[in-house]
Amino acid sequence: MQFRKGFEADEFACLVQIEPPKGTDVSLMVKHAVNVKGVAHGFIVSEMGNAVMRMSSLGASLVLRENGLDAVLQVSCRDRNRLALQGDILAASACGINAVMVVAGEDPSFGDHHTAKAVHDVTLDELLKGLAKMESGKDMAGIELSGSPDFLKGTTLNTCLRGADRENELDKMKRMIDAGVSFFVTQPLFEFSMTQPFLKTAEKNGVKIIPTVLLLKSLGMARYMSRNVNSVNMPSAIVDKIVSASDKVRECMKIARQLILDVKSEGYGGVNVSTLGWEDRLPEILGVMEGLKG
Amino acid sequence: MIIADKKPIEEIIQEVKDYDRLLVLGCNECVTVCEAGGKKEVEVLASALRMHFIKEGKEKKIDERTLERQCDHEYLEEIRDVIDQYDAVLSLACGVGVQFTAEKYHSTPLIPGVNTCFLGANEQRGMWTERCQACGACILARTGGICPISRCAKRVMNGPCGGSSAGKCEINKDLDCAWQLIIDRLRDLGRLDDYEIVAPIKDWSTERSGGPRTVVREDVQV
Repeated sequence: MQFRKGFEADEFACLVQIEPPKGTDVSLMVKHAVNVKGVAHGFIVSEMGNAVMRMSSLGASLVLRENGLDAVLQVSCRDRNRLALQGDILAASACGINAVMVVAGEDPSFGDHHTAKAVHDVTLDELLKGLAKMESGKDMAGIELSGSPDFLKGTTLNTCLRGADRENELDKMKRMIDAGVSFFVTQPLFEFSMTQPFLKTAEKNGVKIIPTVLLLKSLGMARYMSRNVNSVNMPSAIVDKIVSASDKVRECMKIARQLILDVKSEGYGGVNVSTLGWEDRLPEILGVMEGLKG
Repeated sequence: MIIADKKPIEEIIQEVKDYDRLLVLGCNECVTVCEAGGKKEVEVLASALRMHFIKEGKEKKIDERTLERQCDHEYLEEIRDVIDQYDAVLSLACGVGVQFTAEKYHSTPLIPGVNTCFLGANEQRGMWTERCQACGACILARTGGICPISRCAKRVMNGPCGGSSAGKCEINKDLDCAWQLIIDRLRDLGRLDDYEIVAPIKDWSTERSGGPRTVVREDVQV
């Protein structure tokens, strides 16, 4: 199953978030991805998430494709100006990538190259407009292209913001829909009430929200996220479950599996599973997907 | 100093046309020196606007005022008593002054009357050129007092690049190659050995890339 094909046929999408390697050795990335081939419809290939320098999304996406895996490319406004973004988009399209996520990118001060200069030549809105223009046969300068790309377009969405930030995010979502975005990948979700208004907007506009299910690794991680990560709404019941479990890792796996089932039953268009370095657990977590097929 | 340039009168008219009571507010500092937003320019612009709107049959109150600085609380307070008499302020200060005025008089619309361009010097009468980009980590001691950040098109730290030709920059034949200037000056200073030292990769975190910047000086705080 290919992500875009299934998405456009209105099937529940199973995506896996992949961090490209910090180095040239792609063997582990490929191994982990191949392990869930068939169950995962596609792999969202991060573009230097948290501003940590790694192999580019484009490079890692092509490596995955060489291994028969479907990749969702991420393009980030932080690291590339409009020439580089368009160049990569053309390259990706020519190499068979047909789904792209536009992301703004965290500031370099969050990552491992603190002294780097961020680019931000174009904003997400402008990049999406540029993409639409490229799809119509012209580049961002209005010059005709010899062959134009065609992408299923997505971006990120933070559904747990509060107050004015929340209103801004809803406005941004509407702008993105107008600019041609078909799917929105959320921050890690551990409950769904705060995402409901966004789901309604998505349904009204014929687009899909794809919640991220993050594999917790420990009680400490759950507590840390609960206390310190504003963009995540962690119900105390989740923390309590891990507290009372004798095998905490097993409980974390159980929580992730249940959340995947919940995402499906809540009516979302798909799920994005993120394991942050524990990709060897993907087959066990995604085993639950067998029951979701079809 | 901060170099600004006058906005086209058509653009200003478009922005102010809906306000009946307008204060044209100049600044006595940088924009006065670069002849874009001082008392003289306030008078000229206010007169031009009055003539335009009279010609259109519109009666507007257009007043003039020039403050010592618009980037200073103290001087901005001088218009507090009169600010309510205006529907908008057309500020001829640099972007700093416009914003500081807007912050101080929250409910009054602020319109910029100049384009703020760069930190530069008065090269000759009627001509100002860029000299500094406020990168927050000055390296002029190593480059013969000539800044490759503000004066090299590529902002290269170890130049010249391949686009330097006969002392000029590839992007404009009238533009000096900053690195040619650096080499020439280091030679004149007898410090060409400095040129051989490869500069480390630039730390851009002190520049605008690291987000809006703040300088805190505890020694002068009250």
